[in-house]
Amino acid sequence: MKQVLKMGTTLMVVGLVAAVGLGLTYSVTRDKIEAYDREVEAKAAVAALPGVNSISELEEERDLARKAAKEVPGVEKVFTSDKGYIFKINTKGYGGPLMLAVGINKDGEVVGVSVISNRETMGLGSKVLEEDNLARFEGKTSKDPLEVGEDVQAVTGATITSKAVALQVKKALQAYEVIR
Amino acid sequence: MEEQTTFWYEFKKGFILENPLMVLMVGLCSSLAISNRLENGIFMGISATFVLVFSNVIIAAIRKWIPDQIRIPIFIVVIASFVTIVDLALKAYFPPVYDRLGVWIPLIVVNCIILARAEGYAYKNNVKNALADGLGMGAGYTCVLLIMGFIRELLGTGKIVLFDKTLFNIAPPYNPPAIFILFPGAFLTFACLMALLNRYKMRKAE
Repeated sequence: MKQVLKMGTTLMVVGLVAAVGLGLTYSVTRDKIEAYDREVEAKAAVAALPGVNSISELEEERDLARKAAKEVPGVEKVFTSDKGYIFKINTKGYGGPLMLAVGINKDGEVVGVSVISNRETMGLGSKVLEEDNLARFEGKTSKDPLEVGEDVQAVTGATITSKAVALQVKKALQAYEVIR
Repeated sequence: MEEQTTFWYEFKKGFILENPLMVLMVGLCSSLAISNRLENGIFMGISATFVLVFSNVIIAAIRKWIPDQIRIPIFIVVIASFVTIVDLALKAYFPPVYDRLGVWIPLIVVNCIILARAEGYAYKNNVKNALADGLGMGAGYTCVLLIMGFIRELLGTGKIVLFDKTLFNIAPPYNPPAIFILFPGAFLTFACLMALLNRYKMRKAE
């Protein structure tokens, strides 16, 4: 009995000290982590819609996002501006979650795709996410099939990532049709 | 033997005599996975060394109060705490690096090197030696990661990129085979390094 008590107390003390240390670290780093996440998202959103220069010109539409997400799973956020819409889409890539910002203008054409975060393989999947490759989606509309092998070219060795990106653009266009 | 057990001896054994990756061959999984870039090696090395040093020191300091039966849970709590600290700090201050190292930082918790040093060394030695052991093991680990990261990034991408600056680029005449930055490249590179080290040891033995 005495031994059990001793073990329990030791474990508790160690656990408490660890918890305090972690709590302190968390409170110090929390703001920075959140600020960085927002900054990355803002940068990608602005890059996806030409003509928009800062995040302040964009309006986040929570209701529209909820409405779109019901029909098109993966839609996380919707921003609007007088230039068009930006969809933040989250689906699975090859290495983990893949998050893109897709800009669509008032005519329903894709005008820009940019990466918010990804876990794709460096040198293969990451090639799909390079700017000149993403630029190939510009001008696509919801009438395009957006299928790898039809109107989208896969990058050699990165078929899954290529498909994931095409799917995300397709989802953005579907979401656009839902909320338009 | 007693005289040899100095701070310096404990430190340098981590490099060659008991190098965690090349000789003890523990903690290989994450090392092979992240060593496709020199920069990854730097941050992974520093992170693991930080955890190793602090968990070694703390465990050596409290070893007399730890009941034998529950030492492993206590090791895990100590190690996991330091790993979480590194995880949060990297995420806050080096987010691009964190994006790349991703899941491997939290997985330092189950990295055999750290638990092996806690159980096999820090639990039986004083704080000073545990500190030397942690520093040495960490430095030995980092060294191997740097060498592998350098070789694989150079062969696999044709260039070395450090902190967003391209140090040098041999890509135009050289067409880099991507296999080196993928998992097979890790095994190939590691095997070659092992062969070199074994050759060196055999020479020395003769």
